[in-house]
Amino acid sequence: MKKECIAMLLAGGQGSRLHVLTGDMAKPAVPFGGKFRIIDFPLSNCANSGIDTVGVLTQYRPLELNNYIGNGQPWELDRANGGVHVLPPYQSATGADWYKGTANAIYQNIGFIDLYDPDYVAVLSGDHIYKMDYSEMLRCHKAAGAACTISVMEVPWDEASRFGIMSVDSQDTITEFAEKPKEPKSNLASMGIYIFTWSKLRAYLIADEAKENSSNDFGKDIIPAMLAAGEKLVAYRFEGYWKDVGTLDSLWDANMDMLTPGSGLNLLDERWPIHGRTAICPPTYVGELADIGNSAVARGCEILGEVKNTVLSTGCHVGRGASVTYSVVMPGAIIEDGAVVSYAIVGENCRIGCRAAVGAPPETAADPGQWGIAVLGPRTCVADGETVPPKTMLDKTHGKEAAQ
Amino acid sequence: MKGMHGIIFSYGEKPALGQLTACRVHGSLPFGGDYRVVDFVLSNMVNAGITDVGVIMHGKCQSMLDHLGTGKSWDLSRKSGGLKLLPAFAYGESRGVVGPFRGKMEALGSVVEYLRHIRQDHVVLSDSDLVTNIPLRDVLDAHMASGADMTCVCTSRPGSAGDTYFKLDAAGRIVDTAYDIRIPVGYQSLNIFLLSRELLLSLVEECMAHDRYSFRHNVLQEKDGTLHLNGYVWDGFAARINSVQDYYRYSMALLRPEIRAGLFCPQRPVYAKENDAASTYIDPDGECVNSLVSDGCDIQGSIRNCILFRGVKIEKGAHVEDSILFKDTVVRTGAALRCVIADKNVEFSHDVHMAGHANYPLVVEKNTKL
Repeated sequence: MKKECIAMLLAGGQGSRLHVLTGDMAKPAVPFGGKFRIIDFPLSNCANSGIDTVGVLTQYRPLELNNYIGNGQPWELDRANGGVHVLPPYQSATGADWYKGTANAIYQNIGFIDLYDPDYVAVLSGDHIYKMDYSEMLRCHKAAGAACTISVMEVPWDEASRFGIMSVDSQDTITEFAEKPKEPKSNLASMGIYIFTWSKLRAYLIADEAKENSSNDFGKDIIPAMLAAGEKLVAYRFEGYWKDVGTLDSLWDANMDMLTPGSGLNLLDERWPIHGRTAICPPTYVGELADIGNSAVARGCEILGEVKNTVLSTGCHVGRGASVTYSVVMPGAIIEDGAVVSYAIVGENCRIGCRAAVGAPPETAADPGQWGIAVLGPRTCVADGETVPPKTMLDKTHGKEAAQ
Repeated sequence: MKGMHGIIFSYGEKPALGQLTACRVHGSLPFGGDYRVVDFVLSNMVNAGITDVGVIMHGKCQSMLDHLGTGKSWDLSRKSGGLKLLPAFAYGESRGVVGPFRGKMEALGSVVEYLRHIRQDHVVLSDSDLVTNIPLRDVLDAHMASGADMTCVCTSRPGSAGDTYFKLDAAGRIVDTAYDIRIPVGYQSLNIFLLSRELLLSLVEECMAHDRYSFRHNVLQEKDGTLHLNGYVWDGFAARINSVQDYYRYSMALLRPEIRAGLFCPQRPVYAKENDAASTYIDPDGECVNSLVSDGCDIQGSIRNCILFRGVKIEKGAHVEDSILFKDTVVRTGAALRCVIADKNVEFSHDVHMAGHANYPLVVEKNTKL
């Protein structure tokens, strides 16, 4: 069944910079914003943009992600033709390989893409928080007659050296690409979102695979090779909220952006809905003595204490006299009576015992250089009265596993 | 095959629900912040392993049809069996009858072909106005153990005079059925009945042949000598919603932890239609106390002792107390509400003040702008 454009979503990474949060799950499966997981953003963007065929490339710890994606129904990707397909590495007659790099992951699935005989392929990352209409980007790609269109956004000049930077001419045709340049010539940063004309990309993937020393990566190999060969590469300027949540700090920041008017991240905006798999649980109960302010609260919670400047996910409990401030609390976490949680990321199904303390505000730190958010991996159990200092990371092997 | 088949009755008028059922049958009345009343009946069935459910419909069924859809939300969208919607479109014509069903036996008679094709040995019949979380599997076990022909679920909690009441003997057998009695005595029927498919079919065919239509008169009362009718007493939270007062009182009961613990017990989850609303946002100036809050609300003002459905917006300086606000209600700055039930998509403009009484809550009709 021929499709005009399909999407390939790179979701295989461990996300090692998320440390204890990704011990048991791939980065795109990490909860975000109370009701969602990171992968809901690209999947919803696809659905909202009219892309009905999505291949999700998985490799690291895929169980949680596979389970979550299921048949794709929450994103209306349970289609008779197309829909969402999870694509792990596989064995073939000539051998078996892990996905060696982002380009190799697509290369190994040329067969899948050819099934749909698409004119264009969108290559997306599974770890970005943003709302984007890919159909608009595709329209620009077609109008420019490009081989590849790369989504870019302007970043502050002093941060440009952290990104892949594009130099463009007056028509926004890319003239030069530099990965994390020391002295950037432009402040247009690649967002890791590409649309390729499939016939072109197919040829470059096969050529790249034949190179011995290639790292088989889009940014390092495919894009430079296309530029060098004189292909037309075009920058697509994106204006709006976009954040790579590949680090603990950026994940915390992006969650806090939900609570900040004017940050550009407004999940209550229904014009571009983010879809997700909904947990089965009753509405949230807020108690007589609860004190909630500037917080996002998902359903299924029971809040009896203080919750300020916090994202509280589905099915959490905040006990009497407990205080949760400037924190991201993931689904099913239990914060017992009198516990104090501040500047922390609390993983799924953690249990923080009575009067325990997790994290602390930056102004309390003796040495600001040593301060950081405290992070508890999924199912971590903090004992009654225990203190978890700022910048500490604990996982479920700490103490005994929290009861489910 | 072993197991139960579910039949839900979704028709009829309840004048005491007033405006709340102006545009819907009582089964599709929103309840508890996230649900429709029928979700509880359906979840009870699904949690007992029931895979096939027929819903007999008549009257204002648009919102019910909308809500049930393919049955996916209750895992009842199946290759074989699953949820079947049984509207009575052709029935009236074929029998020359106008108007709604006169009774449950007539309703069952209208779908007798469907009943003949039921795969399961047992059938559980239920009204769609009951909010409870009952283990129907236990009811089936008790039914089998008692050797009864039919098991009727009832409660020792008193109801209103118009309800049906059973008198049980020491062994739990129903020895008398009465309704419209001035001072209710005995066990109030919760209108959940369990019987074998064969018995159901023979009762339906017999009633059809004699133009008998009332379940409680022609079956419960007339057959209690020839059939062994047993009572199953269920004293968990059970709300039969017959009036605005019932609706308000039972809704507000959800603010009590022990009621929520029973109704939303984790072993038997209540399934509702999924929604994509993001988390509720509570502003630094917002106040939210002793309330049940669904997703997608934006609370900048103050709410106390309230039940908020999805997407409710409370602007700064608005005060809402002891009220139930359906989906997408907007309360503007300076407005104050007390003991109000606002149907879907109502807007209370700036400085509007409205108050009902706990015994007489004020209902504001769907889509009203005040």
